[in-house]
Amino acid sequence: MANKKIDKKNISKLLKKWSQEFSVFVPSLENNEAIMAEWDGKDISFLDWYRNTVKPPKANFLPLMEKLFSFKKRKGNYQIEVPPADKSKQLIFGIRPCDARALTILDMTFTDAYEDPYYLARRRNTVLVGMTCTDPYDSCFCTSLEGSPSDAANVDLMLTDIGDSFLMEAVTDKGKKLIASASELKDATSADESKATEVKDAAASKITRKIDARDIDKKLLASFDDKDYWEKVAAKCISCGICTFLCPTCYCFDINDEMVKNQGARFRNWDSCAFPVYTKMPMENPREEKWHRIRQKVCHKYEFYPMNFGVIACTGCGRCIRLCPVNWDITQALNSLPVKV
Amino acid sequence: MTVTDISQRKRFLAEDNIYLPHIVVIEKIIDESPGVGTFHFNFKDEKLRKEFSFEAGQFAELSVFGVGEATFCITSSPTRSDHLECAVNRVGAVTNALHRLGVGAEMGFRGPFGNSFPLELMEGKNLVFVGGGIGLAPLRSLIWYAIDNRDKYKNIDIIYGARSPADLSFKYDLESWGKDKTVNMVTTVDKGDKSWKGREGFVPTVLEQAAPSAKDAVAIVCGPPVMIRFTFPVLEKLGFTPEQMITTLEKRMKCGVGKCGRCNIGNLYVCRDGPVFSYAQIKNFISSEY
Repeated sequence: MANKKIDKKNISKLLKKWSQEFSVFVPSLENNEAIMAEWDGKDISFLDWYRNTVKPPKANFLPLMEKLFSFKKRKGNYQIEVPPADKSKQLIFGIRPCDARALTILDMTFTDAYEDPYYLARRRNTVLVGMTCTDPYDSCFCTSLEGSPSDAANVDLMLTDIGDSFLMEAVTDKGKKLIASASELKDATSADESKATEVKDAAASKITRKIDARDIDKKLLASFDDKDYWEKVAAKCISCGICTFLCPTCYCFDINDEMVKNQGARFRNWDSCAFPVYTKMPMENPREEKWHRIRQKVCHKYEFYPMNFGVIACTGCGRCIRLCPVNWDITQALNSLPVKV
Repeated sequence: MTVTDISQRKRFLAEDNIYLPHIVVIEKIIDESPGVGTFHFNFKDEKLRKEFSFEAGQFAELSVFGVGEATFCITSSPTRSDHLECAVNRVGAVTNALHRLGVGAEMGFRGPFGNSFPLELMEGKNLVFVGGGIGLAPLRSLIWYAIDNRDKYKNIDIIYGARSPADLSFKYDLESWGKDKTVNMVTTVDKGDKSWKGREGFVPTVLEQAAPSAKDAVAIVCGPPVMIRFTFPVLEKLGFTPEQMITTLEKRMKCGVGKCGRCNIGNLYVCRDGPVFSYAQIKNFISSEY
């Protein structure tokens, strides 16, 4: 099937059509920060300002806080009630390739050995419409991690801005279905295609931050016990955890109960390896020191995840660099590893 | 041993949901030592009571509704399974709440999770159990399993210690293993009291003195991290290879099924790839992560 294109003026028509079947999420501003929020049915001004969201789209699958089940106590007996599976279909419009790739990485943990029913229900009911990142940040480094600003591998439908319109590439069957009956689309010409290639190449060339990811897992293993190095790397970290909360591949969570009188619920909430309490046991804590925790964060992404799943659990989205209050920089840490292999 | 594929293990998930607990009812609580109680419990659901099974070394998540969940090894033996037992040390919010429960009270139960002791590796071998304090709990499941299948194993040595005589757990078991002529039992305390007539000394030291042979042997170690760290070098000195040294580890856990992230030692998750490991599996990371 030849690629299609859509005039930017017609984007809202398309979103409206999709809204009949899906909850459509688009980039929106909340307290002046970009998030993915449910589309209000008219505003498409995000096309002018959108670069990437502050909160990654992982929140649409693994919410900051969610109820696992509720329970009631009656005469000493407990009754457990499971919330009905989330069947609502969602469409995320404008997801960046790095964040879409992050979902593929998260899938590995949430399907591994035991399936996570909450995450996977949402994942299976979601369509991803990606958008080539034409204006990446200087903190971005996806091209060092087998990604690119136009990588369509993890979305259903990919859009690339070619001026007055978007080129549309249907990647999956879900993506093909999305545009099958859309009268707003035109066939893309070869001029459109070459313009898109030009835009993609230009976007990739804007990414100048690099890491050397070759053998990074081996280098980290060899540097694991180098306390001096890790202390130096961790020196300015304030253990605030924002890099993990805003990381599209960080998934760690805590499980907690709340109960008032005879009713309660069990919740899960995002948690972070940056917090000392995360691993704290009554008698001791294996990651008491800040450098233990920074090492865990870096090694989990670049050493342990590759060992367990064969991929680096970082997509180079750069959020942990640009949103860190003390300018901690994972690329500096990785590029200054003391051991070369 | 290698990482076992836990997806092949028998499962008893409530409604096929990894986070949903079954309801269990407390049948008995035995005071073991200051702050430690062994909870005997059974499933409320009759069908599950009949069908449930587990293997020595596996663990469970017990919960007090409204307070939360915590991780406990199943200390009873699969060979004696008309009910389940977990030893609870009163140290945190959940364990304190568990200790406030009495016989007949309901708890949440998820499990069994994790791998188990490598029975195939141990068959036909001499077994050397090295335990410290409440760390006897996971070993106890396997010790009873080995005693109940006595012809499958050669010598059984048990070296067990605690800080003080009062801190010795499962005294009724220590007594019956001490009387069992097919078991060599050594009990020690770091510091005895007036009535203590047994041995004094730290577990690794006593192990070195007892000097069990490494030939055809497997050592199974569990205790506080500091004891585990000092026991491995002693076993190495006695000629045990890292493959012959088995341990079961405890870490802070939440999900129990490899999702929530916190219980790893290097790339291995205690809940998913353990809790039973050979020293060979973890020696790269144990020095600084445990």
